[in-house]
Amino acid sequence: MLGLFKGLKYTLNQLTKEKVTYDYPNKPLPLPDRFRGIQKFYPEKCIVCNQCANICPTDCIQLTGKKHPDPTKKGKIIDTYDINFEICILCDLCTEVCPTEAIIMTNNFELAEYSRDMLFKNLEWLDENDENIRQVNKA
Amino acid sequence: MIRTEEMLLNMGPQHPSTHGVFRIILKIDGETIIEAKPVIGYLHRGTEKLAEDLQYTQIIPYTDRLDYISAMTNNYVLCHAVETMMGLEIPDRAEYLRVIAMELGRIVSHLVSWGTYLLDLGATTPFLYAFREREAIINLINELCGARLTFNYMRVGGVKWDAPEGWIEKVRDFIPYMREQLAGYHDLVSGNEIFLSRVKGVGKYTKEEAIQYSLSGPTLRCTGVKWDLRKDEPYSIYNRFDFDVVTRETGDCLSRYEVRLEEIEQSLRIVEQAVEQFPAEGEILAKVPKIIKAPKGEAFVRIESPRGEIGCYIASDGKKEPYRLKFRRPSFYNLQILPKLLKGENIANLIAILGAIDIVLGEVDG
Repeated sequence: MLGLFKGLKYTLNQLTKEKVTYDYPNKPLPLPDRFRGIQKFYPEKCIVCNQCANICPTDCIQLTGKKHPDPTKKGKIIDTYDINFEICILCDLCTEVCPTEAIIMTNNFELAEYSRDMLFKNLEWLDENDENIRQVNKA
Repeated sequence: MIRTEEMLLNMGPQHPSTHGVFRIILKIDGETIIEAKPVIGYLHRGTEKLAEDLQYTQIIPYTDRLDYISAMTNNYVLCHAVETMMGLEIPDRAEYLRVIAMELGRIVSHLVSWGTYLLDLGATTPFLYAFREREAIINLINELCGARLTFNYMRVGGVKWDAPEGWIEKVRDFIPYMREQLAGYHDLVSGNEIFLSRVKGVGKYTKEEAIQYSLSGPTLRCTGVKWDLRKDEPYSIYNRFDFDVVTRETGDCLSRYEVRLEEIEQSLRIVEQAVEQFPAEGEILAKVPKIIKAPKGEAFVRIESPRGEIGCYIASDGKKEPYRLKFRRPSFYNLQILPKLLKGENIANLIAILGAIDIVLGEVDG
Protein backbone atom coordinates (compact mmCIF):
# COMPACT_ATOMS: atom_id res chain seq x y z
CA MET A 1 0.00 0.00 0.00
CA LEU A 2 2.97 2.29 0.57
CA GLY A 3 3.52 2.75 -3.16
CA LEU A 4 -0.05 3.92 -3.67
CA PHE A 5 0.26 6.60 -1.02
CA LYS A 6 3.58 7.79 -2.37
CA GLY A 7 1.95 8.29 -5.75
CA LEU A 8 -0.98 10.09 -4.20
CA LYS A 9 1.39 12.44 -2.43
CA TYR A 10 3.01 13.38 -5.76
CA THR A 11 -0.38 14.05 -7.33
CA LEU A 12 -1.52 16.19 -4.39
CA ASN A 13 1.70 18.20 -4.59
CA GLN A 14 0.86 19.12 -8.17
CA LEU A 15 -2.36 20.82 -7.08
CA THR A 16 -0.55 23.97 -6.07
CA LYS A 17 1.46 24.19 -9.31
CA GLU A 18 0.76 26.70 -12.05
CA LYS A 19 -1.55 25.75 -14.93
CA VAL A 20 0.23 24.60 -18.08
CA THR A 21 -2.63 24.68 -20.56
CA TYR A 22 -3.15 27.41 -23.16
CA ASP A 23 -6.36 29.38 -23.61
CA TYR A 24 -6.44 28.67 -27.33
CA PRO A 25 -8.33 29.78 -29.51
CA ASN A 26 -9.38 32.67 -27.26
CA LYS A 27 -5.77 33.78 -27.09
CA PRO A 28 -3.30 33.21 -29.91
CA LEU A 29 -0.69 30.53 -29.30
CA PRO A 30 2.75 31.85 -28.45
CA LEU A 31 5.05 30.69 -31.25
CA PRO A 32 8.75 31.26 -31.83
CA ASP A 33 9.96 33.36 -34.75
CA ARG A 34 11.29 30.33 -36.60
CA PHE A 35 7.92 28.60 -36.62
CA ARG A 36 7.03 27.26 -40.05
CA GLY A 37 3.51 28.35 -40.93
CA ILE A 38 1.70 29.25 -44.15
CA GLN A 39 3.98 31.04 -46.61
CA LYS A 40 3.87 34.71 -47.50
CA PHE A 41 4.74 35.54 -51.11
CA TYR A 42 6.16 38.81 -52.46
CA PRO A 43 5.36 38.94 -56.21
CA GLU A 44 7.60 41.97 -56.77
CA LYS A 45 10.65 40.16 -55.40
CA CYS A 46 10.19 36.95 -57.40
CA ILE A 47 12.56 36.42 -60.32
CA VAL A 48 10.80 33.26 -61.61
CA CYS A 49 13.85 31.05 -61.11
CA ASN A 50 11.67 28.00 -60.39
CA GLN A 51 13.93 26.80 -57.58
CA CYS A 52 11.08 26.58 -55.04
CA ALA A 53 8.99 24.45 -57.37
CA ASN A 54 11.97 22.21 -58.09
CA ILE A 55 12.99 21.62 -54.46
CA CYS A 56 9.44 21.00 -53.20
CA PRO A 57 9.35 17.35 -52.06
CA THR A 58 5.61 17.04 -52.68
CA ASP A 59 5.40 19.12 -55.88
CA CYS A 60 2.78 21.42 -54.41
CA ILE A 61 4.06 24.69 -55.94
CA GLN A 62 3.04 25.68 -59.45
CA LEU A 63 4.15 28.91 -61.03
CA THR A 64 4.30 30.62 -64.38
CA GLY A 65 6.19 33.72 -65.44
CA LYS A 66 5.76 36.26 -68.21
CA LYS A 67 8.04 38.67 -70.00
CA HIS A 68 8.85 41.89 -68.24
CA PRO A 69 6.36 44.56 -69.46
CA ASP A 70 9.18 47.10 -69.66
CA PRO A 71 11.08 46.07 -72.83
CA THR A 72 14.30 47.67 -71.59
CA LYS A 73 14.50 45.20 -68.67
CA LYS A 74 15.63 41.63 -68.97
CA GLY A 75 14.19 38.64 -67.18
CA LYS A 76 10.71 37.55 -66.26
CA ILE A 77 8.12 38.54 -63.72
CA ILE A 78 5.72 36.27 -61.93
CA ASP A 79 2.35 35.65 -63.52
CA THR A 80 0.68 32.96 -61.42
CA TYR A 81 1.84 31.30 -58.23
CA ASP A 82 -0.18 28.57 -56.53
CA ILE A 83 0.47 26.43 -53.52
CA ASN A 84 -1.70 23.41 -52.93
CA PHE A 85 -2.05 23.16 -49.15
CA GLU A 86 -3.68 19.77 -49.44
CA ILE A 87 -0.22 18.34 -49.97
CA CYS A 88 2.15 21.06 -48.73
CA ILE A 89 4.02 19.74 -45.68
CA LEU A 90 5.44 23.12 -44.62
CA CYS A 91 8.95 21.74 -44.75
CA ASP A 92 10.55 25.15 -45.34
CA LEU A 93 12.70 24.03 -48.29
CA CYS A 94 11.09 26.58 -50.67
CA THR A 95 12.10 29.49 -48.47
CA GLU A 96 15.54 27.97 -48.00
CA VAL A 97 16.37 27.95 -51.71
CA CYS A 98 14.72 31.27 -52.65
CA PRO A 99 17.57 33.63 -53.63
CA THR A 100 15.53 36.84 -53.17
CA GLU A 101 13.44 35.84 -50.14
CA ALA A 102 10.32 36.25 -52.22
CA ILE A 103 8.69 33.40 -50.34
CA ILE A 104 8.97 33.26 -46.56
CA MET A 105 7.25 31.52 -43.69
CA THR A 106 4.78 33.12 -41.29
CA ASN A 107 3.49 32.08 -37.89
CA ASN A 108 -0.02 31.48 -39.20
CA PHE A 109 -1.07 27.86 -39.13
CA GLU A 110 -4.88 27.85 -39.21
CA LEU A 111 -5.64 26.17 -42.51
CA ALA A 112 -8.97 24.46 -41.82
CA GLU A 113 -11.49 24.99 -44.61
CA TYR A 114 -14.92 23.66 -45.50
CA SER A 115 -13.90 22.40 -48.91
CA ARG A 116 -10.76 20.98 -50.45
CA ASP A 117 -10.75 23.53 -53.23
CA MET A 118 -10.27 26.27 -50.67
CA LEU A 119 -6.86 24.81 -49.79
CA PHE A 120 -5.60 25.77 -53.21
CA LYS A 121 -4.07 29.19 -52.53
CA ASN A 122 -3.17 31.56 -55.34
CA LEU A 123 -0.78 34.47 -55.70
CA GLU A 124 -3.19 37.11 -54.35
CA TRP A 125 -4.03 35.10 -51.27
CA LEU A 126 -0.38 34.36 -50.51
CA ASP A 127 0.47 38.04 -51.02
CA GLU A 128 -2.20 39.13 -48.57
CA ASN A 129 -1.03 36.66 -45.94
CA ASP A 130 1.23 39.24 -44.35
CA GLU A 131 0.77 38.87 -40.60
CA ASN A 132 3.35 37.40 -38.21
CA ILE A 133 6.00 37.16 -40.88
CA ARG A 134 9.22 35.43 -39.95
CA GLN A 135 11.95 37.98 -39.28
CA VAL A 136 15.12 35.91 -39.76
CA ASN A 137 14.98 33.67 -42.80
CA LYS A 138 18.48 32.48 -43.44
CA ALA A 139 20.64 30.84 -40.81
CA MET B 1 -18.15 -30.87 -18.95
CA ILE B 2 -18.49 -27.50 -20.68
CA ARG B 3 -17.27 -27.40 -24.25
CA THR B 4 -15.80 -24.17 -25.52
CA GLU B 5 -15.22 -23.05 -29.06
CA GLU B 6 -12.33 -21.15 -30.52
CA MET B 7 -13.14 -17.68 -31.66
CA LEU B 8 -11.54 -15.13 -33.96
CA LEU B 9 -11.29 -11.63 -32.58
CA ASN B 10 -10.09 -8.58 -34.45
CA MET B 11 -8.18 -6.06 -32.44
CA GLY B 12 -7.69 -2.86 -34.39
CA PRO B 13 -6.85 -1.37 -36.84
CA GLN B 14 -8.68 1.41 -34.99
CA HIS B 15 -7.87 0.79 -31.38
CA PRO B 16 -6.48 3.29 -28.87
CA SER B 17 -3.96 0.87 -27.41
CA THR B 18 -2.29 -0.08 -30.66
CA HIS B 19 -0.84 3.44 -30.92
CA GLY B 20 -1.75 3.79 -34.55
CA VAL B 21 -3.37 1.70 -37.23
CA PHE B 22 -2.27 -1.78 -36.29
CA ARG B 23 -4.41 -4.87 -36.38
CA ILE B 24 -4.01 -8.18 -34.60
CA ILE B 25 -6.16 -11.16 -35.50
CA LEU B 26 -6.55 -13.17 -32.33
CA LYS B 27 -7.62 -16.78 -32.08
CA ILE B 28 -8.94 -17.08 -28.57
CA ASP B 29 -10.19 -19.83 -26.34
CA GLY B 30 -12.19 -18.10 -23.67
CA GLU B 31 -9.82 -15.40 -22.58
CA THR B 32 -6.64 -17.17 -23.55
CA ILE B 33 -4.91 -16.30 -26.77
CA ILE B 34 -4.05 -19.36 -28.85
CA GLU B 35 -2.65 -17.56 -31.83
CA ALA B 36 -2.02 -13.94 -32.69
CA LYS B 37 -1.44 -12.69 -36.21
CA PRO B 38 -0.35 -9.09 -36.64
CA VAL B 39 -1.49 -7.28 -39.78
CA ILE B 40 0.50 -4.24 -40.76
CA GLY B 41 0.66 -1.86 -43.69
CA TYR B 42 -2.24 0.49 -43.02
CA LEU B 43 0.14 3.45 -42.81
CA HIS B 44 2.46 2.38 -45.61
CA ARG B 45 3.46 5.37 -47.70
CA GLY B 46 6.30 3.86 -49.64
CA THR B 47 8.97 6.21 -48.31
CA GLU B 48 11.77 4.10 -49.75
CA LYS B 49 10.29 4.08 -53.24
CA LEU B 50 9.42 7.78 -53.12
CA ALA B 51 13.00 8.54 -52.13
CA GLU B 52 14.29 7.15 -55.42
CA ASP B 53 12.81 10.17 -57.20
CA LEU B 54 13.95 12.74 -54.68
CA GLN B 55 17.15 14.63 -54.04
CA TYR B 56 18.85 13.85 -50.74
CA THR B 57 17.72 17.12 -49.14
CA GLN B 58 14.16 16.42 -50.22
CA ILE B 59 14.15 13.04 -48.49
CA ILE B 60 14.82 14.58 -45.08
CA PRO B 61 11.20 15.76 -44.53
CA TYR B 62 10.02 12.24 -45.41
CA THR B 63 12.17 10.71 -42.67
CA ASP B 64 10.39 12.94 -40.16
CA ARG B 65 7.28 10.95 -40.88
CA LEU B 66 8.70 7.50 -40.18
CA ASP B 67 9.19 7.56 -36.42
CA TYR B 68 7.26 10.75 -35.79
CA ILE B 69 7.73 10.59 -32.02
CA SER B 70 11.48 11.13 -32.30
CA ALA B 71 12.15 12.46 -35.78
CA MET B 72 15.60 13.83 -34.97
CA THR B 73 17.29 10.42 -35.05
CA ASN B 74 15.65 9.67 -38.41
CA ASN B 75 16.90 12.98 -39.81
CA TYR B 76 20.32 12.12 -38.56
CA VAL B 77 20.59 8.60 -39.93
CA LEU B 78 19.90 9.74 -43.48
CA CYS B 79 22.31 12.67 -43.30
CA HIS B 80 24.89 10.44 -41.66
CA ALA B 81 24.63 7.90 -44.47
CA VAL B 82 25.11 10.53 -47.18
CA GLU B 83 27.93 12.17 -45.24
CA THR B 84 29.66 8.80 -44.88
CA MET B 85 29.48 8.27 -48.62
CA MET B 86 30.77 11.75 -49.37
CA GLY B 87 33.43 11.59 -46.65
CA LEU B 88 32.35 14.90 -45.17
CA GLU B 89 33.72 16.32 -41.97
CA ILE B 90 31.06 17.95 -39.84
CA PRO B 91 31.80 21.12 -37.87
CA ASP B 92 31.89 20.68 -34.10
CA ARG B 93 29.13 23.12 -33.34
CA ALA B 94 26.77 21.32 -35.71
CA GLU B 95 27.58 17.99 -34.07
CA TYR B 96 26.83 19.37 -30.62
CA LEU B 97 23.53 20.82 -31.81
CA ARG B 98 22.67 17.48 -33.37
CA VAL B 99 23.47 15.53 -30.21
CA ILE B 100 21.49 17.90 -27.99
CA ALA B 101 18.53 17.74 -30.36
CA MET B 102 18.70 13.95 -30.66
CA GLU B 103 18.94 13.37 -26.94
CA LEU B 104 16.06 15.77 -26.25
CA GLY B 105 14.17 13.75 -28.85
CA ARG B 106 15.02 10.55 -27.00
CA ILE B 107 13.64 12.00 -23.78
CA VAL B 108 10.43 13.03 -25.58
CA SER B 109 10.09 9.56 -27.05
CA HIS B 110 10.52 7.80 -23.72
CA LEU B 111 8.13 10.23 -22.05
CA VAL B 112 5.46 9.45 -24.63
CA SER B 113 6.16 5.76 -24.26
CA TRP B 114 5.94 6.00 -20.47
CA GLY B 115 2.77 8.08 -20.47
CA THR B 116 0.87 6.07 -23.05
CA TYR B 117 1.96 2.75 -21.57
CA LEU B 118 0.40 3.64 -18.26
CA LEU B 119 -2.63 5.06 -20.04
CA ASP B 120 -3.06 1.67 -21.72
CA LEU B 121 -2.85 -0.02 -18.35
CA GLY B 122 -5.58 2.25 -17.02
CA ALA B 123 -3.70 5.03 -15.25
CA THR B 124 -4.68 8.39 -16.72
CA THR B 125 -2.68 10.74 -14.49
CA PRO B 126 0.91 9.85 -15.50
CA PHE B 127 0.04 10.56 -19.13
CA LEU B 128 -0.74 14.18 -18.28
CA TYR B 129 2.51 14.65 -16.39
CA ALA B 130 4.51 13.05 -19.18
CA PHE B 131 2.95 15.36 -21.73
CA ARG B 132 3.57 18.39 -19.56
CA GLU B 133 7.31 17.74 -19.65
CA ARG B 134 7.15 16.73 -23.29
CA GLU B 135 5.55 20.07 -24.09
CA ALA B 136 8.46 21.88 -22.44
CA ILE B 137 10.97 19.99 -24.60
CA ILE B 138 8.90 20.39 -27.74
CA ASN B 139 8.73 24.14 -27.17
CA LEU B 140 12.54 24.14 -26.94
CA ILE B 141 12.85 22.20 -30.20
CA ASN B 142 10.23 24.46 -31.79
CA GLU B 143 12.40 27.47 -31.01
CA LEU B 144 15.37 25.70 -32.54
CA CYS B 145 13.92 24.43 -35.80
CA GLY B 146 10.43 25.87 -36.19
CA ALA B 147 8.35 22.73 -35.88
CA ARG B 148 6.99 20.63 -33.07
CA LEU B 149 7.18 17.16 -34.59
CA THR B 150 8.33 17.21 -38.19
CA PHE B 151 11.61 18.95 -37.55
CA ASN B 152 13.40 18.82 -40.91
CA TYR B 153 16.33 20.20 -38.94
CA MET B 154 19.39 18.37 -40.14
CA ARG B 155 21.07 18.84 -43.46
CA VAL B 156 23.78 16.88 -45.20
CA GLY B 157 26.88 18.44 -43.68
CA GLY B 158 25.36 20.02 -40.59
CA VAL B 159 22.13 21.57 -39.39
CA LYS B 160 19.77 24.18 -40.80
CA TRP B 161 19.67 26.63 -37.90
CA ASP B 162 22.13 27.74 -35.29
CA ALA B 163 20.89 27.78 -31.69
CA PRO B 164 18.90 30.99 -31.08
CA GLU B 165 20.17 33.37 -28.45
CA GLY B 166 19.71 32.06 -24.93
CA TRP B 167 18.58 28.63 -26.14
CA ILE B 168 21.51 26.72 -24.70
CA GLU B 169 20.84 28.36 -21.32
CA LYS B 170 17.20 27.31 -21.52
CA VAL B 171 18.26 23.71 -22.15
CA ARG B 172 20.66 23.92 -19.22
CA ASP B 173 17.87 25.15 -16.93
CA PHE B 174 15.56 22.42 -18.11
CA ILE B 175 17.85 19.56 -16.98
CA PRO B 176 17.45 19.96 -13.17
CA TYR B 177 13.71 20.48 -13.62
CA MET B 178 13.43 17.25 -15.60
CA ARG B 179 15.50 15.35 -13.01
CA GLU B 180 13.10 16.49 -10.31
CA GLN B 181 10.09 15.38 -12.33
CA LEU B 182 11.74 12.04 -13.09
CA ALA B 183 12.07 11.35 -9.36
CA GLY B 184 8.39 12.19 -9.10
CA TYR B 185 7.55 9.67 -11.83
CA HIS B 186 9.18 6.94 -9.78
CA ASP B 187 7.18 8.00 -6.72
CA LEU B 188 4.01 8.10 -8.76
CA VAL B 189 4.22 4.81 -10.62
CA SER B 190 7.32 2.67 -10.14
CA GLY B 191 6.37 1.50 -6.65
CA ASN B 192 2.65 1.28 -7.28
CA GLU B 193 1.46 -2.21 -6.31
CA ILE B 194 -1.35 -2.34 -8.89
CA PHE B 195 1.07 -1.41 -11.68
CA LEU B 196 3.65 -3.94 -10.52
CA SER B 197 1.15 -6.77 -10.47
CA ARG B 198 0.19 -5.94 -14.08
CA VAL B 199 3.71 -5.95 -15.50
CA LYS B 200 6.00 -8.05 -13.31
CA GLY B 201 6.87 -11.32 -15.03
CA VAL B 202 4.58 -10.56 -17.98
CA GLY B 203 5.83 -10.87 -21.58
CA LYS B 204 9.10 -12.48 -20.64
CA TYR B 205 11.78 -13.54 -23.10
CA THR B 206 15.39 -14.52 -22.78
CA LYS B 207 18.62 -13.04 -24.01
CA GLU B 208 18.94 -15.68 -26.73
CA GLU B 209 15.40 -15.16 -27.99
CA ALA B 210 15.91 -11.41 -28.11
CA ILE B 211 19.00 -11.85 -30.28
CA GLN B 212 17.30 -14.46 -32.48
CA TYR B 213 14.49 -12.03 -33.20
CA SER B 214 17.07 -9.26 -33.76
CA LEU B 215 15.50 -6.99 -31.20
CA SER B 216 17.33 -3.83 -30.36
CA GLY B 217 17.13 -0.85 -28.07
CA PRO B 218 15.34 -1.14 -24.72
CA THR B 219 13.66 -4.37 -25.84
CA LEU B 220 17.11 -5.96 -26.13
CA ARG B 221 18.79 -4.32 -23.16
CA CYS B 222 16.01 -5.41 -20.80
CA THR B 223 17.31 -8.97 -21.11
CA GLY B 224 20.80 -8.04 -19.97
CA VAL B 225 22.56 -7.61 -23.31
CA LYS B 226 24.79 -4.60 -23.03
CA TRP B 227 24.48 -3.24 -26.56
CA ASP B 228 24.11 0.41 -27.34
CA LEU B 229 25.50 1.81 -30.57
CA ARG B 230 26.29 5.09 -28.88
CA LYS B 231 28.81 3.15 -26.80
CA ASP B 232 29.74 0.19 -28.99
CA GLU B 233 30.02 1.89 -32.36
CA PRO B 234 30.25 5.56 -31.43
CA TYR B 235 28.97 7.84 -34.18
CA SER B 236 28.81 11.62 -34.22
CA ILE B 237 30.61 12.79 -31.04
CA TYR B 238 29.18 10.32 -28.55
CA ASN B 239 32.65 9.14 -27.53
CA ARG B 240 33.14 12.51 -25.81
CA PHE B 241 30.39 11.90 -23.27
CA ASP B 242 30.31 9.86 -20.14
CA PHE B 243 27.13 7.82 -19.75
CA ASP B 244 26.04 4.30 -18.86
CA VAL B 245 24.29 1.69 -20.94
CA VAL B 246 21.19 0.77 -18.97
CA THR B 247 20.42 -2.94 -18.71
CA ARG B 248 18.10 -5.17 -16.72
CA GLU B 249 18.21 -8.95 -16.36
CA THR B 250 14.64 -10.19 -16.23
CA GLY B 251 13.35 -9.39 -19.73
CA ASP B 252 9.75 -8.76 -18.67
CA CYS B 253 7.54 -5.72 -19.22
CA LEU B 254 8.67 -4.14 -15.96
CA SER B 255 12.33 -4.32 -16.98
CA ARG B 256 11.56 -2.56 -20.27
CA TYR B 257 9.71 0.13 -18.37
CA GLU B 258 12.67 0.58 -16.03
CA VAL B 259 15.22 0.69 -18.85
CA ARG B 260 13.30 3.47 -20.58
CA LEU B 261 12.96 5.60 -17.48
CA GLU B 262 16.62 5.22 -16.66
CA GLU B 263 17.60 6.07 -20.22
CA ILE B 264 15.89 9.43 -19.74
CA GLU B 265 18.33 10.01 -16.89
CA GLN B 266 21.30 9.00 -19.07
CA SER B 267 20.11 11.25 -21.90
CA LEU B 268 19.93 14.12 -19.43
CA ARG B 269 23.54 13.38 -18.51
CA ILE B 270 24.59 13.56 -22.17
CA VAL B 271 22.67 16.80 -22.75
CA GLU B 272 24.24 18.26 -19.61
CA GLN B 273 27.76 17.47 -20.83
CA ALA B 274 26.99 18.64 -24.37
CA VAL B 275 25.69 21.96 -23.09
CA GLU B 276 28.80 22.28 -20.92
CA GLN B 277 31.18 21.59 -23.82
CA PHE B 278 29.16 23.55 -26.39
CA PRO B 279 31.60 25.52 -28.57
CA ALA B 280 31.14 29.29 -28.27
CA GLU B 281 31.29 29.78 -32.01
CA GLY B 282 31.84 27.94 -35.25
CA GLU B 283 30.23 26.84 -38.45
CA ILE B 284 26.98 24.90 -38.48
CA LEU B 285 27.28 23.59 -42.02
CA ALA B 286 30.27 21.96 -43.68
CA LYS B 287 31.32 23.01 -47.15
CA VAL B 288 28.90 21.10 -49.36
CA PRO B 289 28.02 21.59 -53.01
CA LYS B 290 24.63 23.14 -53.70
CA ILE B 291 23.34 19.99 -55.32
CA ILE B 292 24.38 17.00 -53.28
CA LYS B 293 25.50 13.96 -55.19
CA ALA B 294 26.60 10.89 -53.33
CA PRO B 295 29.50 9.15 -55.11
CA LYS B 296 28.86 5.87 -56.87
CA GLY B 297 28.73 2.98 -54.44
CA GLU B 298 26.80 1.94 -51.40
CA ALA B 299 26.82 2.56 -47.67
CA PHE B 300 25.02 1.32 -44.61
CA VAL B 301 25.06 3.17 -41.33
CA ARG B 302 23.21 2.48 -38.12
CA ILE B 303 22.56 4.56 -35.06
CA GLU B 304 20.72 4.16 -31.78
CA SER B 305 17.21 5.54 -31.93
CA PRO B 306 14.97 5.49 -28.83
CA ARG B 307 13.39 2.30 -30.16
CA GLY B 308 16.52 0.51 -31.22
CA GLU B 309 18.91 0.38 -34.10
CA ILE B 310 17.82 2.49 -37.02
CA GLY B 311 19.85 1.87 -40.14
CA CYS B 312 20.02 3.52 -43.52
CA TYR B 313 21.30 1.83 -46.65
CA ILE B 314 22.00 3.89 -49.74
CA ALA B 315 22.99 2.59 -53.13
CA SER B 316 24.01 5.41 -55.39
CA ASP B 317 24.94 5.58 -59.04
CA GLY B 318 26.44 9.02 -58.65
CA LYS B 319 23.26 10.99 -59.40
CA LYS B 320 21.54 13.49 -57.14
CA GLU B 321 18.88 10.92 -56.26
CA PRO B 322 19.67 7.59 -54.61
CA TYR B 323 19.35 4.48 -56.74
CA ARG B 324 17.94 2.62 -53.78
CA LEU B 325 17.29 3.67 -50.22
CA LYS B 326 16.42 1.35 -47.38
CA PHE B 327 15.70 2.01 -43.75
CA ARG B 328 16.16 -0.59 -41.09
CA ARG B 329 13.26 0.47 -38.94
CA PRO B 330 13.58 -0.78 -35.36
CA SER B 331 9.84 -0.83 -34.55
CA PHE B 332 9.25 -3.24 -37.43
CA TYR B 333 11.90 -5.67 -36.19
CA ASN B 334 10.90 -5.37 -32.54
CA LEU B 335 7.32 -6.18 -33.40
CA GLN B 336 8.26 -9.61 -34.80
CA ILE B 337 8.42 -11.18 -31.37
CA LEU B 338 4.81 -10.23 -30.55
CA PRO B 339 3.03 -13.41 -31.79
CA LYS B 340 5.42 -15.53 -29.75
CA LEU B 341 4.88 -13.48 -26.60
CA LEU B 342 1.12 -13.49 -26.93
CA LYS B 343 0.71 -17.26 -27.27
CA GLY B 344 -1.01 -18.60 -24.18
CA GLU B 345 -1.42 -15.19 -22.59
CA ASN B 346 -4.55 -13.71 -21.18
CA ILE B 347 -6.24 -11.12 -23.40
CA ALA B 348 -5.79 -8.43 -20.75
CA ASN B 349 -2.04 -8.90 -20.92
CA LEU B 350 -1.97 -8.20 -24.64
CA ILE B 351 -2.06 -4.46 -24.06
CA ALA B 352 0.68 -4.64 -21.45
CA ILE B 353 2.95 -6.66 -23.76
CA LEU B 354 2.33 -4.61 -26.90
CA GLY B 355 2.78 -1.32 -25.05
CA ALA B 356 6.08 -2.44 -23.56
CA ILE B 357 7.53 -3.14 -27.02
CA ASP B 358 6.77 0.52 -27.80
CA ILE B 359 6.13 0.61 -31.52
CA VAL B 360 5.37 3.58 -33.73
CA LEU B 361 3.25 2.60 -36.68
CA GLY B 362 4.73 5.19 -38.99
CA GLU B 363 7.98 3.35 -38.59
CA VAL B 364 6.55 -0.18 -38.73
CA ASP B 365 4.83 0.49 -42.04
CA GLY B 366 7.48 2.73 -43.52
